[in-house]
Amino acid sequence: MKARIKYFWTIFLFIFLSGCGATTDFISHPASSITSRQSDLYTVTLIMAAVIFVIVEGGIIISVTRFRRRKGDTSEPRQNHGNVPLEIIWTAIPLVLVITLFVFTFNTMNAIAAPQPSPNDLKVNVVGHQWWWEFDYPDLGITTADELVIPVDTPVQITLTSGDVVHSFWIPQLAGKTDAVPGQVNHMWINANQPGTFEGQCSEFCGIEHALMRERVVSVSQSDFQAWGSQQQSLPAAPQTDLEKQGQKLVASGVCAACHTINGTNAKAKIGPNLTHLFSRSTFAGASFPLTDANLTSWLKDNQTMKPGNLMGIKVSDSQLGAILAYLKTLK
Amino acid sequence: MAAQSEAFPYTQTVRTSRIMGWLLTIDHKKIGILYAATAFFFFMVGGVEAMLIRLQLVAPDGKILNPDTYNQIFTMHGTTMIFLAVMPFSIGLGNYLIPLMIGAHDVAFPRLNALSYWVFLFGGLFMYSSFLAGGAPNDGWFSYAPLTESAFSPGKGMDFWALGIVLLGISTTIGAINFLVTIIQMRAPGMTFSRMPMFAWTIFVTALISVFAFPSLLVAVLLLLLDRQLGAHFYNVAQGGNALLWQNLFWFFGHPEVYILILPAMGIVSEIVPVFSRKPLFGFMTVAISTVAIGVLGFTVWAHHMFTTGLPSASLLFFSADSFLIGVPTGVKIFAWLGTMWGGKLRFSSPMLFAIGFISMFLIGGLSGIQLAVVPADWQLEDTYFVVGHLHYVLFGGSVFAIMGGLYYWFPKMTGRLLNEKLAKIHFWLMFVGMNLVFMPMHFLGLMGMPRRIYTYGADQGWSFLNALETVGAFIVAVSFLFFLFNLIRTLSRPATHPVDPWDASTLEWTISSPPPVKNFETIPVVHSRRPLWDAKHPDLAD
Repeated sequence: MKARIKYFWTIFLFIFLSGCGATTDFISHPASSITSRQSDLYTVTLIMAAVIFVIVEGGIIISVTRFRRRKGDTSEPRQNHGNVPLEIIWTAIPLVLVITLFVFTFNTMNAIAAPQPSPNDLKVNVVGHQWWWEFDYPDLGITTADELVIPVDTPVQITLTSGDVVHSFWIPQLAGKTDAVPGQVNHMWINANQPGTFEGQCSEFCGIEHALMRERVVSVSQSDFQAWGSQQQSLPAAPQTDLEKQGQKLVASGVCAACHTINGTNAKAKIGPNLTHLFSRSTFAGASFPLTDANLTSWLKDNQTMKPGNLMGIKVSDSQLGAILAYLKTLK
Repeated sequence: MAAQSEAFPYTQTVRTSRIMGWLLTIDHKKIGILYAATAFFFFMVGGVEAMLIRLQLVAPDGKILNPDTYNQIFTMHGTTMIFLAVMPFSIGLGNYLIPLMIGAHDVAFPRLNALSYWVFLFGGLFMYSSFLAGGAPNDGWFSYAPLTESAFSPGKGMDFWALGIVLLGISTTIGAINFLVTIIQMRAPGMTFSRMPMFAWTIFVTALISVFAFPSLLVAVLLLLLDRQLGAHFYNVAQGGNALLWQNLFWFFGHPEVYILILPAMGIVSEIVPVFSRKPLFGFMTVAISTVAIGVLGFTVWAHHMFTTGLPSASLLFFSADSFLIGVPTGVKIFAWLGTMWGGKLRFSSPMLFAIGFISMFLIGGLSGIQLAVVPADWQLEDTYFVVGHLHYVLFGGSVFAIMGGLYYWFPKMTGRLLNEKLAKIHFWLMFVGMNLVFMPMHFLGLMGMPRRIYTYGADQGWSFLNALETVGAFIVAVSFLFFLFNLIRTLSRPATHPVDPWDASTLEWTISSPPPVKNFETIPVVHSRRPLWDAKHPDLAD
């Protein structure tokens, strides 16, 4: 049955996605037990809605064809004021239907609720900022941004808050969204049942660049996660060339240090994303741009054109660009 | 000849220029027309804002509007359509029709009535003047704190929004009190509540909702102004304030507000469908009770806008259950309209087309609303285009369709002229097709992960085709209104034919001339049934 539902959705959505590449939805490509249940539940409600629609709209269409006034007929129809038994029935049936939906709602909420914490769980603190996501792994001493790396088939217990305004953390294929509310700590959990990269986007209007506040979850095998964790916990390799060393001076002791942290240097600020292992990621600036030389160069030179209103008010001059870029690329 | 009452002093008896007659009027009919015309003007403005949004979103990486402008435009689109278009239009129709429908000379407080109109006009213009004062409000029509705090929204836009809302709240509240007193005190002899037209019922319940809902909005907005202007920190989290306080206060108003937007529309449909089916409204008292039930239950569901904020399970279940429950009286009304049409002899003049369009579109909007009440699904769909699709089916497919139906229906009474039926039908069909093309794909976009309120999206996200389709649909809707405007201007420029009862209807407003005399009724009629005019015309079929 589940396979048939997934098949139905894949065909149904394919028709509407024709020509596009969206496969990041919870309906046809759920990647966790949570979203599988959500997809099933939504399918049930859709079928119920479709049946009700056909019946009622059918009634309308029948009325409109069968009871149209025929040409020349000036007589009036029977002046029927109502029918109490019928009204009771068409109050009772919807009542039964919504009670059924409520029972489904209750059951699904229980089925997808976070499991009891266990030592196997990965703990992550997610903090929303205008306009990027911060990820802290308190037990591992790791702080990253934009991309949340997790091991597959492992419950990830997430605490969620915001450093400024209300945001909402959402990865459609893995779980429903939960708001990141300043002054409050919300809890959610995810558990990817397959490796892959899962995309999402902030889903609570949070200011001028709400549209470019995206996030990714990268699910990898347990051993790959161990390797990733070790790499993140260690310092990046020291800069080798003169250009890289010059870049390190400019970045770690220059204006970049006013906002960013790079472990092992004087840059310890926590206003912007942690850049220690920037080049272990594939996107940047709120996961909105692929991390390529060209994009990073444009960003450094004039990020206000790429993401107008973003809070990095720095423009790197052409003379410093080469060195800074060279250094940043050592931060693997 | 009835003695001149307090309601018709000076301005009615002293000769005055035409313009001054409109500016100084306290006649509910003129005030109703002022409300409706102003609301329609703002509707056009909101429509232009919608077109700008659709142009920006037609393709990925849109460059038509920069993000700040886009955020102002979508904020003003929502604010305009809700507070400056749909609500005032319903109030305008209510103003015009209630005294006529209940057999009264005017509303209970004619001067207060005029005041509520001018405060509304001033509030709307005040809000729009923000564009000239450094920028319009830009945090969305429901303006969540703490984004709206000065730290995150410097500039004056949000202050304009807050003060504008205060003015509009004042206008609505005094208008609501006026309707309540008028309906309670001034019904014609013999017109019990159960004999009062359904549109009057819906205005009555809408007015009750307004009186209880707007204070919450006023408080929310005053606290925001205190934060922004006087250094208070109700919503300023860094200094001990609470972000969700805004959401609770706002939605306690905001959910009843959507019933304020839809109930008068349902009332219009409840007037039109029986007339064009040639049968009474099916289950009148059931529909009346359902209206009251919707009004009451509407106050118990507000947190379904907050399912993703981290509410405890008990709250989630309660608000989910009540949101399901409110679907029942709403469904009952749809069945009642269906029951009215069933067995009738339907005529498909333009008001009836819009009414049937309403029923079909509202059905879809209602069903997607029920889907959103399913909490685990809502956790996926909240704040996505699914919600935008849902709300436009009920507000555009619902309220706007009904308003247009009401306009075509009561236009001859107000102006003494019938709008051209051929042009009206073109308007209907274009609007119907266009509307579905814009808003149906939004459900799919939401399911595909597209959040709302984003000024652009990437080509890699797979949303481009449906967005382009929606923009095409928006143009079709825009064109449909050109047909309406042409019809309006053309009809008004022709001499009036003064048809008294062009649709062969049943209620009191069709017993007097088109347009009605200043005092509406020479003598207040005595009413013996729900359909006094029908009974007079069909004594053999009388109620």
